[in-house]
Amino acid sequence: MAGVVKVALPPRDTNLFQMAFGYTSTILTGMMKTFAIFWVQITGKEKTETLEWPEQPATYSDRFKGKHFLTRRDDGQVRCTACFLCATACPAECIHIVAGQHPSNEIEKFPVRFEIDILRCVFCGFCEEACPVDAIRLGPEYAMSGLSGDKWIYTKDYLADRGELHGGISSVKVENEKHFTTDHHPHGDDLIATDAPHMRHH
Amino acid sequence: MSEATQGQGQGSVETVTFTLNDREITVPKGTTVMAAARLKDVYIPHFCWHPGLKIAGVCRFCLVKVDNRPKLEIACNLTATPGMKVSSVLPEVKEAHKWALEFHLVNHPLDCPICDQAGECKLQDYYMEVGKYKSEMDRPKVLKPKALDIGSELVLDTERCILCDRCVRFEEEVTKTGALGIFNRGDRAVVGTYPDKKIEHNYQDNLVDICPVGAFTSRDFRFKQRVWFLKDKPAVCPGCSTGCHVDVYAKPQVRSYFRLKPRESAVNGFWMCDKGRNTYKHMNQEQRLRFPLVAEGTAARRKTTVDEALAALVGRLLAANKEDVALLVSAQYTCEEYKALFDLFVVKLGVSKVYQWREPTEDLKAFDGLLYRGDHNPNTRGLSEALKAAGLPSEVKNGFDDLVRQAPPLVIALGPEVAFQFPSLPAQLKQLEQLPFVSLWTIDGAAANYAGLKHLLPMKGFAEKRGHYLNFEAKVGDLADPFPAGSEDARDVTEVVAALSDLFAHSL
Repeated sequence: MAGVVKVALPPRDTNLFQMAFGYTSTILTGMMKTFAIFWVQITGKEKTETLEWPEQPATYSDRFKGKHFLTRRDDGQVRCTACFLCATACPAECIHIVAGQHPSNEIEKFPVRFEIDILRCVFCGFCEEACPVDAIRLGPEYAMSGLSGDKWIYTKDYLADRGELHGGISSVKVENEKHFTTDHHPHGDDLIATDAPHMRHH
Repeated sequence: MSEATQGQGQGSVETVTFTLNDREITVPKGTTVMAAARLKDVYIPHFCWHPGLKIAGVCRFCLVKVDNRPKLEIACNLTATPGMKVSSVLPEVKEAHKWALEFHLVNHPLDCPICDQAGECKLQDYYMEVGKYKSEMDRPKVLKPKALDIGSELVLDTERCILCDRCVRFEEEVTKTGALGIFNRGDRAVVGTYPDKKIEHNYQDNLVDICPVGAFTSRDFRFKQRVWFLKDKPAVCPGCSTGCHVDVYAKPQVRSYFRLKPRESAVNGFWMCDKGRNTYKHMNQEQRLRFPLVAEGTAARRKTTVDEALAALVGRLLAANKEDVALLVSAQYTCEEYKALFDLFVVKLGVSKVYQWREPTEDLKAFDGLLYRGDHNPNTRGLSEALKAAGLPSEVKNGFDDLVRQAPPLVIALGPEVAFQFPSLPAQLKQLEQLPFVSLWTIDGAAANYAGLKHLLPMKGFAEKRGHYLNFEAKVGDLADPFPAGSEDARDVTEVVAALSDLFAHSL
């Protein structure tokens, strides 16, 4: 066939002695290393790097994007305002929220249900980034294996209040950034339009 | 509508030609620049101007540059004059928009995460279009009352309000109830109801529609869904014989409907009533009849497939004399459906007993002066014309009692779609239970509670089928772009009749 370039290969090494020595020496060097480490560890001269997981816990960095959790307000209520931005940003469409009217007019909107279908989740962390109130975060918990009968849809209660969270994680970030606190205002409550007509008759 | 006051649609021959964004346009004399731009599909950003309301000129947002005039002018209150050169795209106009927007947002709470308007909010849209500044305001925002109950359908948040006063004008000009006003001055100004007044009329949700921000939100739609998840399609409201043109908002992937909004048309202008806005609910899963229910012989009624249900019906029809068969037809189906039905039963099978199923308490002449009519059927006119075409008496008359008195052995009843407009429906269904055999075609899930009804067929809702309604003045309402049916077993009358015809052809 035209166009095929023939490449001249180097002549094969046919020296049997050289071949046998080369192979054996490399194998021996490797085995020596293996046995040396084996010896050091078996005699307890050096500590092994391998953990006896799961008896021995292994913790990841706080920045690890593992199991989700919902943060709380100072009074212990879930911080989430059910704005659906996480559900909108979620590429796996695994967040399901049902919003409702909160008894307190200060909060107005809150999630009646907040569920993450963890089997669909791809742990991209977009929900964390999309959240305007620091309500959802991905934590360092990574061990999520389970059996088929287990609950793979994480509910609001589980996300906010599972045992691993030790009573829940509160977010103070938003409280400080809130513009509608009157504390630091020069006129304080005076500026709330309490003299508006509907305030009078309600 | 009051668009006429802005010089549109007066039919005057006098015209004005001026230049808008380097394009020469000709409009009727007296037209404002804003109205002219709208006629020619040029969009000038605005908050307070609304084509259905009078000009207020309070938001100062629709600024445009007119050649040889020292300052920018508001397009909404600027009458077009011959030879005028107007631009809405110059950098200085955009700059003016930006600063006007910053003033509007000075005391805006930015609670978009909990605001239902987010996604269709003019403030958000314009911020992305012309804003994108960093706020230069260093004072805290002024606080105002939030989540106020000012009407049965409305929630008012005065903090979000930008005081465009569209709602105040709507109350004064359209419903003429005048319940709303703007109180106090400066940054303490709030919109609200007068002390002894509440908004009580049947047109409350229009305030939600015209509010360019999230100050007015709908109690019905409140927190139910984010608008960007919804898909809208045009349809016609089935609530009364006015037949307002609407957009139906739904989430087809979960087979849920969420709201209706008026679509601008010559029939309804820009508005629709609150009663009409409730006419999406019967199409949702929890309220609709989702599958056929059939009782064979003396056996208990059970869930079956559509094919089985139709086969059972055909079996009975074949066994019956044509004198024994009667049709009971409500005026809530499309003209096409009536034609198909009468073509089969009246023309082909020779059935002559056709009764109209109407609400006995209805007052056909009732009219609230705006849109809502006493005839709560979208297609009374269409039914009459279909009856006339089939050679049957066509005057509007409730034939329900006649039918029950005669008690024909086999009745095919096309039930009303919007059940809440039929207060006598439960009593009527009880009466139908007493008849020997009734095949009830309906979307109303409550019909399944009447165990005596032996044959129930699930129907499609108005947003799920193609066809036409004829409203009270015989104007055509077009159902052209249907959503997929909320239940796989749901059919429209045309489909059922086609299937029945096939079955007849095979069994004869």
